[in-house]
Amino acid sequence: MITQSATQAIEVTINGKTYRRVVESRQLLVHFIRDTLGLTGTHIGCDTGSCGACSIIMNGKLVKSCMLLAPQADGAVIETVEGLAHDGELSALQESFRDHHGLQCGYCTPGMLMAATYLLRNNPSPSEEEIRRGIKGNICRCTGYVNIVRSIKAVADGAQLDMGDGVAKEV
Amino acid sequence: MLLKSVEYVRPDSVAQAIEILNSNEGAALLAGGQSLVNILKHRVASVDVLVDIATLEELRFVESRPDGSIEIGACITYDELDHSELIHSSHEMIAWVASHIEDQQIRNRGTIGGNCCLSDPTNNFPPLLVAMDATMNIQSSSGMRQVRAEEFFKGYLMTAIQPGEILKSITVPPVPADVGIGYVSLSVGEDSKAIVRSSAWVKLNGVVQEARVVLARVSPIPVRYQPMEEALRGSSATPEDIARAASVIGSDFEPVADSHGSSEYRREMARVVAKRAVLEAVEKVRGEGGSK
Repeated sequence: MITQSATQAIEVTINGKTYRRVVESRQLLVHFIRDTLGLTGTHIGCDTGSCGACSIIMNGKLVKSCMLLAPQADGAVIETVEGLAHDGELSALQESFRDHHGLQCGYCTPGMLMAATYLLRNNPSPSEEEIRRGIKGNICRCTGYVNIVRSIKAVADGAQLDMGDGVAKEV
Repeated sequence: MLLKSVEYVRPDSVAQAIEILNSNEGAALLAGGQSLVNILKHRVASVDVLVDIATLEELRFVESRPDGSIEIGACITYDELDHSELIHSSHEMIAWVASHIEDQQIRNRGTIGGNCCLSDPTNNFPPLLVAMDATMNIQSSSGMRQVRAEEFFKGYLMTAIQPGEILKSITVPPVPADVGIGYVSLSVGEDSKAIVRSSAWVKLNGVVQEARVVLARVSPIPVRYQPMEEALRGSSATPEDIARAASVIGSDFEPVADSHGSSEYRREMARVVAKRAVLEAVEKVRGEGGSK
């Protein structure tokens, strides 16, 4: 049992590192990640659970971190966008977003990358429709969905990434 | 901070959760939180203690019963329903509805119990569970009691749940081969909040033996439209029969009006979605091997 209190001592493992902090019970998980821990890769777009910019993977499940309280994450293992690259090497999805111009302003990108990472883990070769359904919870206001879908599809197909002129090609 | 100060507690059992509810007047249950957390951000509900029941094993199971019915723990998420082989094999429509709620993030957190206990008229499960004649199993310090889904939803954000009670599970009757279930929504975008919705349960043996037609988003709670059910009974359930039955949704029927649709518009659309829901149910019985 976690004892009834307006503050909670929580332990959360994020991208392999364990953090122990005392938080206010009312603190949103996204504020804990960004403000308390300084991991600002996870964005806040709407803070009403509509835009998906704050998407993270918690205990293997894609969730919106503005729709959880920090104490709910006590004991959880979390992955954020900072955890996708290893030793300075971008993940295949991150490379693909770069190569296919899968972003314009970049604000939604951390959430898109987490949603796409989750999608491909659970469905390594999704159809275009499955990709579009997979990122339905993530809003891009630059209307960049076409290139985002292309970026994800390229990784799913294991296609050769276009490293040449920077112009996205059909995949 | 968006939320006002609130205490958080994570009990180890349903009994402990009930104890906490009974000793804190301002306590509220927190399951998936996909509606409640937003309500708290807007400070429209006054909650002093959040009792987190999302991970209680007692509320997280899906089991079939010898009679073919299925019991679903209140804290099973939409995504878990969609990935349950048991649900797919015996009650396919529950999995289908779960897989068409909003988006993946919400399906990973939102629970069937929360969907019912909030009693928001846009929620997906209430009309389906009324159509399927589900039973809500409610636990309190004095034991268990059962309430039929039709009696469970009382009003906008109101259910039969009393202070100190917890919805423990939902029992859904079996779906035999001569029964079909339909579920049709009119919404602005795919899988988004419905403007009008209908779920139909039809028992067909040459002619319609029995039908339940539920309309949702036309009033604060899902309602069975009995004149249409009566019009269907005994008919051969041809598309013409079904269209005729839907046309009994008459001018005496006055759906709620709001920014998404006038009462007249909702009445017209109720005829359309109810007709389609019954058609879907009938096609499932007449199609290959019946439906779930």
